[in-house]
Amino acid sequence: MPSSSSLPKLSLLSTLTPSSPSRAWLTAPHPTLPLLATCSSDKSVRIYSLTSFTLLSTITGGHKRSVRTCAWKPNLKGESVLATGSFDASVGIWRRYDTDDLNPKPVIAPVDFDARDENIDEYDEDEWRFAIVLDGHESEVKSVAWSTAGNLLATCSRDKSVWIWEEVGDDDYETIAVLQEHEGDVKCVAWHPEEELLASASYDDDIRLWREDIDDWGCVGVLRGHDSTVWCVQWEALTPNIYGEAEKLDVKEKWMKRREASGPRLLSCSDDLSIRVWRRNPKEKVPQSRLSIIRSGSSEEDWIEETRLPVVHSRPIYSVAWSKSGRIVSTGGDGSIVVYEERWRHSGTGTETTMLGARRDTIDGVENNGEPKADEAEPMEDVTGVNEAAEDANGRVATSSESGSGPHATNWVVVAQIEGAHGVFEVNNVAWASRKVPTGEGILEQEDLIVTTGDDGVVKVWRLEI
Amino acid sequence: MSEVLNANPTIRNASDLPSRRRQGNGQSSKTPSGLFATTVPSSAYIPDPFLPPSSDSDESSGDDDSVEPIDEQEIYDLISPISDPEHPLTLGSLSVVNLPDIHLTPTFPEKGSASPLTTLTVLITPTITHCSLATVIGLGVRVRLEQALPPRFRVDVRIKEGTHSTAEQVNRQLGDKERVAAALENGTLLGVLRKMLEGCENLET
Repeated sequence: MPSSSSLPKLSLLSTLTPSSPSRAWLTAPHPTLPLLATCSSDKSVRIYSLTSFTLLSTITGGHKRSVRTCAWKPNLKGESVLATGSFDASVGIWRRYDTDDLNPKPVIAPVDFDARDENIDEYDEDEWRFAIVLDGHESEVKSVAWSTAGNLLATCSRDKSVWIWEEVGDDDYETIAVLQEHEGDVKCVAWHPEEELLASASYDDDIRLWREDIDDWGCVGVLRGHDSTVWCVQWEALTPNIYGEAEKLDVKEKWMKRREASGPRLLSCSDDLSIRVWRRNPKEKVPQSRLSIIRSGSSEEDWIEETRLPVVHSRPIYSVAWSKSGRIVSTGGDGSIVVYEERWRHSGTGTETTMLGARRDTIDGVENNGEPKADEAEPMEDVTGVNEAAEDANGRVATSSESGSGPHATNWVVVAQIEGAHGVFEVNNVAWASRKVPTGEGILEQEDLIVTTGDDGVVKVWRLEI
Repeated sequence: MSEVLNANPTIRNASDLPSRRRQGNGQSSKTPSGLFATTVPSSAYIPDPFLPPSSDSDESSGDDDSVEPIDEQEIYDLISPISDPEHPLTLGSLSVVNLPDIHLTPTFPEKGSASPLTTLTVLITPTITHCSLATVIGLGVRVRLEQALPPRFRVDVRIKEGTHSTAEQVNRQLGDKERVAAALENGTLLGVLRKMLEGCENLET
């Protein structure tokens, strides 16, 4: 258990080579293999190795415009499947047999470099097979996401719709829902880690939740609060992870119990410069008649804004990600990467002093990273202001949800920050990846990595040293 | 596009427009090749005082000992020659873009010179309050600036308050990076933009 004063340190591990010649939008880490897929405005997808940090192959020829998004299909063995979404309004499905799924070696043998370059194109064509194109959206596809089981694919577009596709056979997909309640571009879709519950974020400032109810997909919740485009939504892992030690065990137990009842929380980031955490307000356990087929309200879910993260970004926040170990990372137009941790709140000597302590840690964390920074006082003030805002939100939530110990049991603090992560360029996407690194006695240990993708076409991999 | 929305715009004389002509403007006014090849500006930057010294040698005013930062007049010079999409007139002469509505501010004021990021805000004044071409004009301005300025600039193009009936909607679109990027891959729109930017100088260094 890390004490509240131990701060992770963010440092650059590698810059993947070669990079895209133009803006790269997003990098998706493979669910099991040390592979990364990077979507680029040059209409291609680059597959990089997370062990050698070099380009393994390039998927080209499928899309006529920028590839905006991609997602790896989960739960596969022996084969990898990648879904791509493009500004050309189409979604592509690509397949490739894994060369060695247990101990992935660099796919390209360590031959001399000239020979390797010549081989790449030929190699690609054998490697990545274009399986099928999913047509239906009327304009740019912005995001694609596979359900946890892998049988459903959600896609969304500037045409304001969310489509859900089901794989009904080999390379055979059926449209099972076209959801059109959003009033603006749908920027992002994300599946709940356990339930068949989909979250979508939109240009209309709303987040919507969708699920199937008696054979029909429909909207079961609208999360309102953001003041501008919601760029990204992401789910918490099944098991929460709160850092530090709880002061009172009963508070901790109460919090954990409530978290268990509401399930994984939802994370969102916006053009309004805020990052928010949303929580399901679990329904009272009413003995429900299974025979009840009255649909109105039966599947409606009540979601509330639990808290806001400290405001650090000064330009639109394009991407957030929640790691399995409970940390959140964010990035955006200001080019900063910010890592946050949720900690048990210490309230014994008054909230304000402990909060200040946390803030101090934050600043120290930045210092420890050796990042250039001009002024200490200003960021301090920013964070202060933000935490006050978070307090307000907490207060409001607490009164509305009537679960006093809940929101106040934890608070979010900035634990690491890098400015100018891609030089002067904007950063479009951030994701968590993990790799196994040998520790002292040859034991492999999981290490969290942060992957960022920028307007410079570059993908960078960062280590979070705990 | 067939119907002219504003048949009688107010036009300013070229000699009335704010200027601080620099030497060396004799370059042809052809559009740089590959202007829209990518959505990320790559080669046609103005010499940037924040860049490492290697690129300094091209600064046109050779006898300066100190490099001048890019100022509002320079920004104005970049966007005033853009043609209106429906008149053979420039945005400068139509007073769609105006020098006092161009603002350069450090993106991180508290960091001083430690951060080179600069926020550029350009407020445009559409010729009529319901001009449906406001988005296209704004897009032209944003594209021109992103193409000509170094990537450390964060370009915000907005409709000047009170000058347009659907300003908020237009501002949202112009501020949405993803929409702007996608618009630049739209052939029809690209044709319109290319025509608007025809009169702009090639800023090759």
